[in-house]
Amino acid sequence: MAKRNKLEIIRDILRIIQKNHPIKPTPLLRMSNISSSRFKGYYSELLEKEFVKETYGKNKKITLTEKGYRYLEKYSAIINFIDEFEL
Amino acid sequence: MVLMTGRAIGNGFGKLMSLGMGSEILYSFVIIVCSLMIYFGTKELYKLTSHKGIKYFRLSFLFFALAYFFRSFIKIILFYFEISELRTILPIFGSVTLFIFMYFSSMAIFYLLYSVMWRKWKSKWIICYLHIISLAIAIITLLFQNPLIYFLMNILFFIFISFTVFISFKQSKKKKHSNLYAIYLMLLIFWIFNILDILIPNFLQAFQLFIYLISLGIFLLIFYKVIRKTG
Repeated sequence: MAKRNKLEIIRDILRIIQKNHPIKPTPLLRMSNISSSRFKGYYSELLEKEFVKETYGKNKKITLTEKGYRYLEKYSAIINFIDEFEL
Repeated sequence: MVLMTGRAIGNGFGKLMSLGMGSEILYSFVIIVCSLMIYFGTKELYKLTSHKGIKYFRLSFLFFALAYFFRSFIKIILFYFEISELRTILPIFGSVTLFIFMYFSSMAIFYLLYSVMWRKWKSKWIICYLHIISLAIAIITLLFQNPLIYFLMNILFFIFISFTVFISFKQSKKKKHSNLYAIYLMLLIFWIFNILDILIPNFLQAFQLFIYLISLGIFLLIFYKVIRKTG
């Protein structure tokens, strides 16, 4: 399997959250298929960019925000654009 | 006195609106609008990804828009005062405008190049270097009022950029996208013609319409490629 780039990893994490909405941090880490230290980095970036939000009930759970959905919606346009101009 | 001033303004306006100046304004307007639409049209993609390539691609077109704005500004002043050298009539104002134009022009080309090369050029000082080189180009333009120096400087600029683009194309895995490098190379060549048109008046006058039409075509083609991909 080819090494995923940053944009692909973010897309995969967001897709996992979308499919298992809302999801706890531990299963999300497991399903993301990356090391926990890299996951922490990506997860803080997702929180910082407001692609995901944490909700606190009995347990901490993660859900997608509107920006997160927008990223998934725009992902193929982003990749096509980067590919077209070799950015 | 008032009548004479009014007549002078009227004559100036008439000159401004003549066919030559009209096409000049239209040419700059279309390119500025195209560049700004590329800049604003890719804003969301950058906000979502913070991708470095997208960042420098966008900034490059912002610099193109600014450079064309100052270019048309210089052209209008040259036309209005019927002079061939901006600094002959307005020394400080002319020098500052020319300096800004040259700086933005160089930055536009360098940022476009960097948008393709950022993965290979890893030094954290690279942006600094690009600013310094652009400033140096602008300063040389001001210090040496010699067409030969301008010509040589642009030839060197062309050799450096086209060599880098060629190396990047050779290393590119996506040979099917080779037309992108051809477009960038054309953009560079015609951008240099646009610069020489300002720096060495009357040098390319016979080919002006041709240069304008090809430059417009290149910008419209890039704009079309951007909207086709971004929607």
